[in-house]
Amino acid sequence: MALGEPNMKILVVDDFSTMRRIIKNLLRELGFTNTHEADDGNTALPMLKDGDYELLVTDWNMPGMEGIDLLKAVRADPSLAKLPVLMVTAEQKKEQIVAAAQAGVNGYIVKPFTAGTLKEKLDKIFERMAAG
Amino acid sequence: MEQEKIESADKYGEQLNELAKKIEQGQTESAEKILDEITRWREDSLFQDLGKLTREFHEALQNFRIDSRITNIAEEDFPDARERLNYVLTMTAQSADRSLTATESAMPICHSIKERNSALKEQWGRFSNRELNLDEFRVLHKEMGKFFDGLDEDVPALEANLNEITMAQDFQDLTGQIIGRVITLVDDVESSLVNLIRLSGQHILSEKSDGPAEKERDIESQGPMVPGVDDEAAMVSGQDEVDDLLSSLGF
Repeated sequence: MALGEPNMKILVVDDFSTMRRIIKNLLRELGFTNTHEADDGNTALPMLKDGDYELLVTDWNMPGMEGIDLLKAVRADPSLAKLPVLMVTAEQKKEQIVAAAQAGVNGYIVKPFTAGTLKEKLDKIFERMAAG
Repeated sequence: MEQEKIESADKYGEQLNELAKKIEQGQTESAEKILDEITRWREDSLFQDLGKLTREFHEALQNFRIDSRITNIAEEDFPDARERLNYVLTMTAQSADRSLTATESAMPICHSIKERNSALKEQWGRFSNRELNLDEFRVLHKEMGKFFDGLDEDVPALEANLNEITMAQDFQDLTGQIIGRVITLVDDVESSLVNLIRLSGQHILSEKSDGPAEKERDIESQGPMVPGVDDEAAMVSGQDEVDDLLSSLGF
């Protein structure tokens, strides 16, 4: 399935159920209905490993495994290394954004964010992926 | 202490020997003088002890007042504040859930109105261009009737959902008050601790502090930035700055 298709499988990782619900609702409004949830990196990683996910949307600050460590684990796993990762987080220290970029994040959104920002970043990710 | 006791026992011993001698010799006047002196010694040390006791008592009282405030804070106020903050957490989560539920139930209604409207609009356009035959017009007429009836149900449902979202904001007032009280407690703890340090650890204050230890790795999660509290120079102020920073890194 091509990236950006309505049925693409997306994993939303955030420790707050409210935020997961908001992101899922926004994704649904953008036409993406095949969304799944995890509440931290430790739960997300096994799901990613045998779930054929096509996009990971993750928070940074979570108990258990944090988003940055999940990103690093994804990049270190040959079967997941190419998975697009969008970070949606309240972390806004410049060093952190640089670290996320170095770890291979595909997009970085700071909370609070708008539906427009989410769409823009997703479009950009899909464009890049299509261009290879 | 032991040394003091031995010395004072020696001193009393000497005087008592002297006293016995004077009595044997029948020198009553001298004997009385010695007795007076012994009594005076006794009183002196009594007053000294009393003074020491008073001072200790005063300090103990002073410490007790601070100790009992801190004990009170640790035993009652902190658990109480924790409960209150947990309540804030619950209330804000409930409110978010209520709002989201209302939005989720309103959204399909909007989608359905939008769809029915655009279908009708298309037929209406054809009607305006005189492209509809009589049968088609009858269908359009019936569909429009159904659409109006549908709005009679849909609009109140949307209103109810919007009201629900409004009502879900009632947490703000209550949580605001609770958080205000916790802030007062934090102020209280701060001043109690400052007093305690002032009383018991002046040397700590006067010693040059080594400065705070390296608090945490920069890369560790910090939580949301709070204006005026966090170092704003090290932070981005919003999405635009994130985008600028990333594009400067070749993103």
